[in-house]
Amino acid sequence: MKGPIMRALSGVAAITLAMGAAPLVAQGGPTDADLMNDAKSTGDVLTYGMGPQAHRFSSLNAINSGNVAKMVPAFSASLGGEKQRGQEAQPIVYDGTIYVTGSYSRLFAFDARTGEEKWQYDARLPDGIMPCCDVVNRGAAIYGDKIIFATLDARLVALNRNTGKVIWNKQIADYKEGYSATAAPLIVNGMVITGNSGGEFGVVGAVDARDVNTGELIWHRPVIEGHMGTLKGKDNGITGKLNATWQGDLWKSGGGATWLGGTYDPDTNLLFFGTGNPAPWNSHLRPGDNLYTASTLAIDPATGVIKWHYQTTPHDGWDFDGVNEFIPFDATINGKPMKLGAKADRNGYFFVLDRTNGKFIGAHKFVMQTTWANGFNKNGKPNYIVEGRPPAPGDAKGKPVFASPSFLGGKNWMPMAYSQDTGLFYIPSNDWGMDIWNEPIAYKKGAAYLGAGFTIKSIADDHIGALRAMDPKTGKIMWEYKNKAPLWGGVLTTGGNLVFTGTPEGFLKAFDAKTGQELWKFQTGSGVVGSPVTWEQDGEQYVAVMSGWGGAVPLWGGEVAKSFKDINQGGALWVFKLPK
Amino acid sequence: MRDRATLSRRALIGGAGAALALAAGHGGAAPLAKVKALGTLRVVVYQDNRPWSWAEGGKIVGLDADLAQAIAAKLGVRADVAQLVADESVDDDLRNGVWKGGLLGFMPGDLMLHVPFDRSFAARNDQVAIVAPYYRESFALAGVGGAVALEGMPTEWRGHKLAAELDSIPDFYLIGSFGGILAKDVVHYPTGSAAVAAVTAGQADAVLASRAQIEHGLYRAGAGRVTLRKGPLPAFTSPGWDIGMAVKENSRTLGDAVEEIVTAMAASGEMKALFARHGVDWTPANAAG
Repeated sequence: MKGPIMRALSGVAAITLAMGAAPLVAQGGPTDADLMNDAKSTGDVLTYGMGPQAHRFSSLNAINSGNVAKMVPAFSASLGGEKQRGQEAQPIVYDGTIYVTGSYSRLFAFDARTGEEKWQYDARLPDGIMPCCDVVNRGAAIYGDKIIFATLDARLVALNRNTGKVIWNKQIADYKEGYSATAAPLIVNGMVITGNSGGEFGVVGAVDARDVNTGELIWHRPVIEGHMGTLKGKDNGITGKLNATWQGDLWKSGGGATWLGGTYDPDTNLLFFGTGNPAPWNSHLRPGDNLYTASTLAIDPATGVIKWHYQTTPHDGWDFDGVNEFIPFDATINGKPMKLGAKADRNGYFFVLDRTNGKFIGAHKFVMQTTWANGFNKNGKPNYIVEGRPPAPGDAKGKPVFASPSFLGGKNWMPMAYSQDTGLFYIPSNDWGMDIWNEPIAYKKGAAYLGAGFTIKSIADDHIGALRAMDPKTGKIMWEYKNKAPLWGGVLTTGGNLVFTGTPEGFLKAFDAKTGQELWKFQTGSGVVGSPVTWEQDGEQYVAVMSGWGGAVPLWGGEVAKSFKDINQGGALWVFKLPK
Repeated sequence: MRDRATLSRRALIGGAGAALALAAGHGGAAPLAKVKALGTLRVVVYQDNRPWSWAEGGKIVGLDADLAQAIAAKLGVRADVAQLVADESVDDDLRNGVWKGGLLGFMPGDLMLHVPFDRSFAARNDQVAIVAPYYRESFALAGVGGAVALEGMPTEWRGHKLAAELDSIPDFYLIGSFGGILAKDVVHYPTGSAAVAAVTAGQADAVLASRAQIEHGLYRAGAGRVTLRKGPLPAFTSPGWDIGMAVKENSRTLGDAVEEIVTAMAASGEMKALFARHGVDWTPANAAG
């Protein structure tokens, strides 16, 4: 343990901080208990999601629906260089420092009062990596003297949070086999818990737990049935039952990448991880449910054993990843107080489950149109629309099938928020469909193969993006804000009756949490695809967000590209407050 | 496929293209004069693509590696052979390898090998000129003679281990055809070459892969018991495809010079000998002529 040494090293910083405002800061840095309490501690932002349950809710109300119109920038800090791609990070704020990750696996420490850069770490990336969806990173995790983030070459790097020097650096998967990493790590009980990401085939999704002090693997849980899990170097049982829902040896390369990371619920002591789509892409070649792809898994953090699963898209044929965040919340349903969880899925449905056992409570459509299914039955299975499934390779040559949502989803990676005040979920969603057809001639690695062609299409004249307030008890959309370009950034909600989110057009916007009325906006100079946060410092409330257009949308755009073709790239942290 | 003038868009380029080529300046792919002045031809080949290009003993070897060396030698320059990691489609590879460069700094080449020579593919990749078709690729079936009814109906292969590259045309054929009757017999490998190696090592009974992968694999293994099916496969839809090379749209002078070299190598027997060194029976591209 490095505790005493690091305490000595960080002494100066800790004293500076004590003279500042945050009384809760322990000298050695955030502890497990601090991380679990992050949703309540308003003087810092210690976790991705602003609490392990990822509500993205702060009780702070100094900035509120009555005065947000006066909010102004406190400072902006550039990420500099030529590496200005999508900036999808959520800032971490602690000890007078704002930590943000940037495109191309970079991590920055900025002074939280002045915006001056304290240090910067650039991962040295091999040129043989082939990230599918831009060179993004979604944020860091903080623990003790460390700030930890994942890199595009599938490594986990722990840096000293005061100096930026490497403490440990571990490979979590082999980038040469197509693995990558972009999600913010989750820290629970002294373990760093990560998913994995990677290309469309050959990759098998997994959740790993590592010792936060050394990076050594504690447990490994593949998410595709038939694969063996491990605990402390020993076999710990296979996932599911071999060949129960997969044919032949396809389970060996079944997909299900857990590329968005997970959430943790201290109340039930469960980790929740979503899993990606199955491989190969065409569903006709892999009959069966293909478990546990396109699912939410509840995992025991001590052992990595799967406690329950719920599959949001059984036998996926549309690239509907099930990776979206599962957010625990409590509510009274039919007069009964329940421990629930909610997930807004790529497939266009908002799921409410009993988080103690995975039992289906309800699925509510949160997008304009779902052509693949018409709702869910009482057992939590989709009512498929047969003609909405893309055809088998070789069938219906050239004839496109229209599918909505598009493969980019009713909601993609961008996290929603849950307000404990309004009881509503705020979902950053998109209304778009796609034409899919079998490509008669396609080539991969110089050879002919059977490809599929896609074109993403608008389905409304006035918008693609829509921020929607969902009542999880009734499935009703209470309000919506429509945006011309697709929404691709996270959401924040506060005790000031506010909801914040960014737009590709470059604005950070604030809305009335009850009515959806737009109250404030600020142009950041490039598209906003990051997740905003808020905290209190020196007696004032601050709001911060990353600006920098990119991510998967401009890479895949299709005909919807005209809604964002004039947006310029960037890379900056913006921090706001009320004028004094 | 015969209209090569259209495919490589010579008609479009004309005088304007020459001016453009001269103005191309520093960086990026160089046309012929610049390649000669620099004394280096940067040739992009695929990483891990047996028998065409792969790394062995610190060197890049294989059919495409040899071809890159031969072309550079005939241009009187040194070959700088660079390995490209394949992206999701060859369209992406052309962007990364020829006309733009990789997102993580991969420097585009003057010439990229192993590019499908196909009219509709070329039409949608107008940032490059696809030239010099040098081989006709097709799929073939090979298996252990006696163990599998190689010349029989595919339904007769039921119960035998059938090796194929994951997510490939052979995979889809074996898994999806004949009512999926063979689906449970298919054993998947990351590449066609690995699937061939499984048969020569006795781990699988038959393999459906590209003919070059099979011939090279059998040559390397010296496996006399494994033979190729002679007749066509029923309901197999891929007729094969031509393989050529790509240069940047404004590197027409280089493309023309390379095409002349390849044509001469085909006529002289040099191409056949180059392929024979890797155990592959050279088949001229349909479009060559």
